[in-house]
Amino acid sequence: MATSVSPETTGTELPQPTYGEITRDIAATLGNPSRGYYILFAFVLTVLAGGVIALLYQVRYGMGVAGYTPPVMWGVYITTFVFWVGIAHSGTLISAILYLFRSAWRTAVYRTAEAMTVFAVMTAGLFPLIHVGRLWYAYWLIPYPNQRQLWVNFKSPLLWDVFAVSTYFTVSTLFLIVGLIPDIAAIRDKATGWRKQLYRVTSLGWRGTDYQWRHFTRAYLYLAALATPLVLSVHSVVSWDFAMSIVPGWHATIFAPYFVAGAIYSGVAMVITLTVPLRKVFRMERYVTVRHFENLSKLMLLTGMIVGYAYVVEYFIAWYGGNAFERASFWNRAFGDYWWATWTMIICNGFLPMFLWFRKVRRSIPALFVLALFVNLGMWFERFVIIVVSLSYEYEPYAMGHYTPSWVEWLILSGSFAWFFMWFLLFAKNFPTVSITEVKEIIPMPRRNEASA
Amino acid sequence: MTRRVWSVLKAGGAIAVATLLVAAGAEVFRTPAQESTPTMGGYEAPVDVDTAGLPGPRQPIFYRHDIHAGQYEIDCRYCHYAAEVSFSPGLPTVASCYGCHVIVGAGNPEVQKVRDAHTNGVPIEWVEVHSLPQFVHFPHMRHVVNAELECQQCHGEIQRMPQVYQFASLKMGWCVSCHERSTYADNPERQVTTDCTACHY
Amino acid sequence: MTDEMNRRKFLKVLGVTGGGAATLAGCSTDQVEHLIPYLVPNEDQIPGIATYYASTCRECSAGCGVHLRVREGRAVKVEGNPDHPVNRGRLCGRAQASLQGTYNPDRVRQPLARNADGQFDKISWDDALGRVAQAVSSANPDNVWFVTGNEGGSFDRFVDEWLAALGSSHRVVFEPFAHEALRHAARQVFGVDAVPSYRFEDAEYVLSLGADFLETWISPVEQARGFAASHGFHEGMGRYVHVEPRMSMTAMSADEWIAPAPGTEGLLALAMAQVILADGLGRFPTDARRLENTLASYTPDAVAARTEVPAEKILRLAREFAAVPSVALPGGAGTQHPDAHLTAAASLLLNYVAGNVGTTVVFGADQNVAGGSTYTSLRTFQETAVASAPDVLFIHGANPGYATPAAGAAFAAAQQNASLTVSFSRFVDETTAAADLILPDHDPYEQWNDYTPRVGVRSLQQPVMQPVFDTRQTGDVLLEVARQVGGLLARRLAPAGDGATYKDYLQNQWRRVQRDLGDRRPFDEFWREALQRGGVWGESPRRTMRLAASAATLTAPGWSTPEGQFTLIAYPSMSLLDGRGANRPWLQELPDPVTKMTWGSWVEIHPETADGLGIAEGDEVEVTSPDGSIRAPAYLHPGLRPDVVAVPFGQGHTAFGQYATDRGANVYRVLSAQPTEFGGVSHYAAVTVQPTGAHERMAKTEGKRRQLGRGIAQAVTLAAIHEGEAHPFHMAPAAEPPEREEHILEEVAEMQREATEYGPYAYEQTRWGMAIDLSQCTGCSACVVACSAENNVPHVGADQIRHGREMHWIRIERYFEGGENGEPLEARVLPMMCQQCGHAPCEPVCPVYAAYHTPDGLNAQVYNRCVGTRYCSNNCPYKVRYYNWFDMSTPEDPRTFAWPDPMHWLLNPDVTVRSKGVMEKCTFCVQRIRGAQHQAKLEGRALTDGEVVTACQQTCPSNAIVFGNLTDPNSAVAQLAADERGYHVLDGLNTTPAVTYLQKVRNLVEP
Repeated sequence: MATSVSPETTGTELPQPTYGEITRDIAATLGNPSRGYYILFAFVLTVLAGGVIALLYQVRYGMGVAGYTPPVMWGVYITTFVFWVGIAHSGTLISAILYLFRSAWRTAVYRTAEAMTVFAVMTAGLFPLIHVGRLWYAYWLIPYPNQRQLWVNFKSPLLWDVFAVSTYFTVSTLFLIVGLIPDIAAIRDKATGWRKQLYRVTSLGWRGTDYQWRHFTRAYLYLAALATPLVLSVHSVVSWDFAMSIVPGWHATIFAPYFVAGAIYSGVAMVITLTVPLRKVFRMERYVTVRHFENLSKLMLLTGMIVGYAYVVEYFIAWYGGNAFERASFWNRAFGDYWWATWTMIICNGFLPMFLWFRKVRRSIPALFVLALFVNLGMWFERFVIIVVSLSYEYEPYAMGHYTPSWVEWLILSGSFAWFFMWFLLFAKNFPTVSITEVKEIIPMPRRNEASA
Repeated sequence: MTRRVWSVLKAGGAIAVATLLVAAGAEVFRTPAQESTPTMGGYEAPVDVDTAGLPGPRQPIFYRHDIHAGQYEIDCRYCHYAAEVSFSPGLPTVASCYGCHVIVGAGNPEVQKVRDAHTNGVPIEWVEVHSLPQFVHFPHMRHVVNAELECQQCHGEIQRMPQVYQFASLKMGWCVSCHERSTYADNPERQVTTDCTACHY
Repeated sequence: MTDEMNRRKFLKVLGVTGGGAATLAGCSTDQVEHLIPYLVPNEDQIPGIATYYASTCRECSAGCGVHLRVREGRAVKVEGNPDHPVNRGRLCGRAQASLQGTYNPDRVRQPLARNADGQFDKISWDDALGRVAQAVSSANPDNVWFVTGNEGGSFDRFVDEWLAALGSSHRVVFEPFAHEALRHAARQVFGVDAVPSYRFEDAEYVLSLGADFLETWISPVEQARGFAASHGFHEGMGRYVHVEPRMSMTAMSADEWIAPAPGTEGLLALAMAQVILADGLGRFPTDARRLENTLASYTPDAVAARTEVPAEKILRLAREFAAVPSVALPGGAGTQHPDAHLTAAASLLLNYVAGNVGTTVVFGADQNVAGGSTYTSLRTFQETAVASAPDVLFIHGANPGYATPAAGAAFAAAQQNASLTVSFSRFVDETTAAADLILPDHDPYEQWNDYTPRVGVRSLQQPVMQPVFDTRQTGDVLLEVARQVGGLLARRLAPAGDGATYKDYLQNQWRRVQRDLGDRRPFDEFWREALQRGGVWGESPRRTMRLAASAATLTAPGWSTPEGQFTLIAYPSMSLLDGRGANRPWLQELPDPVTKMTWGSWVEIHPETADGLGIAEGDEVEVTSPDGSIRAPAYLHPGLRPDVVAVPFGQGHTAFGQYATDRGANVYRVLSAQPTEFGGVSHYAAVTVQPTGAHERMAKTEGKRRQLGRGIAQAVTLAAIHEGEAHPFHMAPAAEPPEREEHILEEVAEMQREATEYGPYAYEQTRWGMAIDLSQCTGCSACVVACSAENNVPHVGADQIRHGREMHWIRIERYFEGGENGEPLEARVLPMMCQQCGHAPCEPVCPVYAAYHTPDGLNAQVYNRCVGTRYCSNNCPYKVRYYNWFDMSTPEDPRTFAWPDPMHWLLNPDVTVRSKGVMEKCTFCVQRIRGAQHQAKLEGRALTDGEVVTACQQTCPSNAIVFGNLTDPNSAVAQLAADERGYHVLDGLNTTPAVTYLQKVRNLVEP
């Protein structure tokens, strides 16, 4: 990936902006919100309210208001949890790993990706709470000293989740904030009114001295190094929620890499989904160029193929392993009550991305946008299939059942998207969605060109 | 930020951590109330007619444990007759109160209430002082008979209480703190169970 | 009287406890609870300790003896009376749920009178008694009618005497399933009006001509015990052949199920008798020869065509039947077609020629099936009532306004004609809803009474607690009426003076009993002992039978439906019987043992037939007969002849309380009101079946019907066992770990020990375990209700069942085998509860140790620690963990509240009432284990084998469940666990369950 992008390919078709222009253009995106923005924001808040009401209703009357049908004890909530955790991944990948690989093209999109990461984790983190039967006792999952000799069970993957997700949230948030400091300082000097106050505080007294720059770059590097392993660890841990159980269709060693790939896959898709409209609205064609999208789509193609391969392997092992329950479970996936979900997932994640082999598609923004939407859909269904369909067809034939989500679950699901976009909208209007600093860094200058690569 | 600020922060952090540890330690290593060996006999219960100032919930009848158990040294099990055989210690029937108070205590307005209750056949609704949530099953008989505990160890110096109040927290930590450092009377090697289903089922 | 006052009265007898359905709402030390002591010391009530009182179950005619567990003055559980000769300590599901009748929120709480605009007003007892007395004294004695159910004891005689003293003889006894056919047959064949006792334990070959003797027929619990003794696996175990067009639950236990043309079971029996007689196979009495001419025409070849059973099969059956001590059972209510009396007669003949009469078919110890009730006598009343309006009509213990053809239309009409209808019912059922006065009777557990289940057994009832509501025992009411009416009535009935109560009358009866028994002791002594034992019983008498002349006049039974129509079979519901159980939520929610349906009616249709009619499961169908039509969803039942459809009795109530009303369809609507030759109702009808186009998701608890070859419920043939080949199927190669892995396993075990201080996994002292013998389990589901009663398991209602959210900690799984391309259909049952695995998948995944392993090998579930991640349930291969989707335990949530006042008095104080959002499951009745351990500790001794008895084990009529300590090699359970038939479900998962299942043994015919 890193090698696929060398400094000289990072130029854009449009005339090079000057340093001044960059600051101005990007700062311009923080201008007064249009009417459209407010309408959109109001809509998002409404949907969020719907989700909140549904949740309160569920807390009052019990989980029964959701569509759970034993033996399917996990449904839309856990599906959506995994979905959002997955989304969260490409952010760190793009910002941290690509940073370490010095692949300069990331600069235009990494801020968006990072913000997305943080908000996605914030969304994902809600779902374990929404899903437990006694929300008000959820704090029992935190190990704290007490006289009752009660302790948490570190053998339980759910507990690993608690730590994995919270760690990931902390680090990615730090990473985002640190990366923001110089930019905030930059716009601080342009901003006026309450915003100026905000930026004055959040820029943490950045003056841009080389002393500060030295510390900044060093800190940023360390954080990147710290974040990198998390990209792999977090979703591995999440996958172990399933892999550690004995449920046919869950109990598979392939799960960790399979989930990580899937996570990055869905993450990249989400980055595209977000960047395309952003780029249009903020008129940043000069900074976020087709080439960036092409690189993203290459990343998507790669991870997509890994995911597709995982699908094939799953079925192969189910057959080759010769375990009757495993075979039955996978047969049920493909041809049972939930065939439609399975095939949605396979088509969206396995076949559609194959179009990315064509340069034409890779370079066509609308095509990419549509494709990304399909991948998002497909990835949600992937989790649905793995969780719900496996549970609905386990060991005890007499106890098999069929689950359909209820309106409460749909409301909360849409609420989670609203929650995510609420934060993103707030961010997009108040902080630079493209890194001023780093864009400046990569504007080709003869000296830099020789120095780098 | 300057060095001073930093050191201040460090100091503050250290203090915070220390306090936390101490607090936690206190929680973990807290020992329950001292075992009391009440010295009975010759005890003169104070004259006390107003219950308002006394700890513990106000009861429909100002029944004086300190007089009955303290001054007159009536065995607890005379009234709490089931403590040695049952989960529940048992509560004296109005009739058994009346058994004595048909004779003694004439003129005492509180005693009069008991007599009225008996003659009118209206039960006395005592306010529960020591109550456990229903998911806890506490076998009195095991603690009285097998563990040979004094009532006072959990209920406090009842024989000094004009009005009974809750002495021990009765929270799980309190139960466990005793269980974990006790062994069975008939088998000193074996630690008393801390299995959840000893009480929760 | 208001609920508040009820509660007060309750608390008065309650002694020390908060009482009520306190919920799992965290530590609630801050809320004020009151303690109300007894006024006067109660000798046999120690708070926290249960007292047991003997009584008698009055849910059906069987009359099983019960012990009621009473805590703090309220009955909390019904268990069988081990001394009682009928049930020997075991009970069926209906008896287990009987307390839901006592504590039913829909009970009549005080006397009611109908006012001008047809509503019921609350009135005082004095007022009520006055009205009745006034009506009686002004009535023409010859125009006073008294309709009762099967009272079958002193009260039966009391009513007769009361009527006689009044000068009336119009007593009608009405029981819906009165087995008139059986009595008619006995008259025809032996000239006696009696139903004999059938001794299953003495028979090695059982042939049932449609008798559901494990469900509702005569005395199910006693018969289940005898059947288990005969057909449970042992050396020389018996064979059981069931002949019926429909595979009932009873038929599911059969080694061979024969589905003849509807109504021809008797023909088959006659042919068998003919063979035995002709070939001189049986040890039959000489006078049986007289039957030769009668039977001559019924050769196997002659009947083969009509019965659709091949001649050689009939021949084989006859030979097998005659070869060993055998018994043939007449049809039950489920095969009560117009010729049912001929079927019954044929069965008696068959028994006679096989020499069974007197050995396995015992007259003398005659069963009190219905107190001599006949449908015709009710008809007579209805006709007279229409002709001459009765002045007063008394109704007690019967609901003819529902349980007669056309859903009681004829009776309702008659009732309308009566100028005053007085009902003593405890519930406002259909008949009572149309009454003018309701004088609610005590619940059987609140009253003094007795019952005679069969000749030689007298069973007592005593009040085990204060009456829940302001009710009065009907006996006392009638006495009081007599006093107020005065005259002859008063003089005859209250000799002991004004104070005389029905209890005095009862005791007088028992003085006579004592005299008959030749008991010389003082009566009080005799009485006290009888009360403690639950009654008196001795050796039951036997009478030798000789053929009556009319036996030879036997004709051939038969039944035919017009072309293009189906034979409707209306059969008694195992849980609701004739519908009297419909207001017990536990029974409504108890899955039907065959279809696994709950909370409603259904129409059983053979899959092929359904295909032909374009009916899918859950499609609503309309079943139409000349007499009416009903609608219910279709259930595709492979165990049914294609030309037959079946519908259970019991639903479709128009009154009878919140749990029963407007639920399902009353199949009586399609049955003919025309009495049959034997004087009963025909439960067969010729019907057409039409889909209505409506469809519903069935409220059933079954997932898949087939085992998918996973060896869940296993069976082995007797032959295989004799060849030493009882090798249970294992889903994976033997679980012996290879040597190189053993140390790893040990390390894991060690790590587990270190990981949790909650006891070693090595079971040093005890590992509780269970063994379930599938060759004895019949699927009767008594254990399911018993478990609910013991462990405060709430009902969830039809909608939740549709979501698969039933809460039963133990369920009876029913799987079908075969039935395709020619091979015979087989049904298997398996009680599935928590397997208490040694390596439990549920434990490691719980993040808070709510699910953990106790030192004595239980998979404990700490309800108050559970946060409700439900991971444990996902990871449980047996799916035996149940989640509280709603709050069933607090009135704040009326939609799901399972214990409406006073139903919550039923709650077992030893078991936590679970609240919203927690997982719950079977823990081998851990409260009973701990209780026994406490007792042993107090007495300074160790537990003995069999001292701890789980609720399911305690009630199992066929004694299929054994519980105990697996680490004690001498314990019964340990020895059964080592049985060659023993296997663990899904053993390949290496969960090492503590429950061992013993394969069902099928005594098949060697080919």
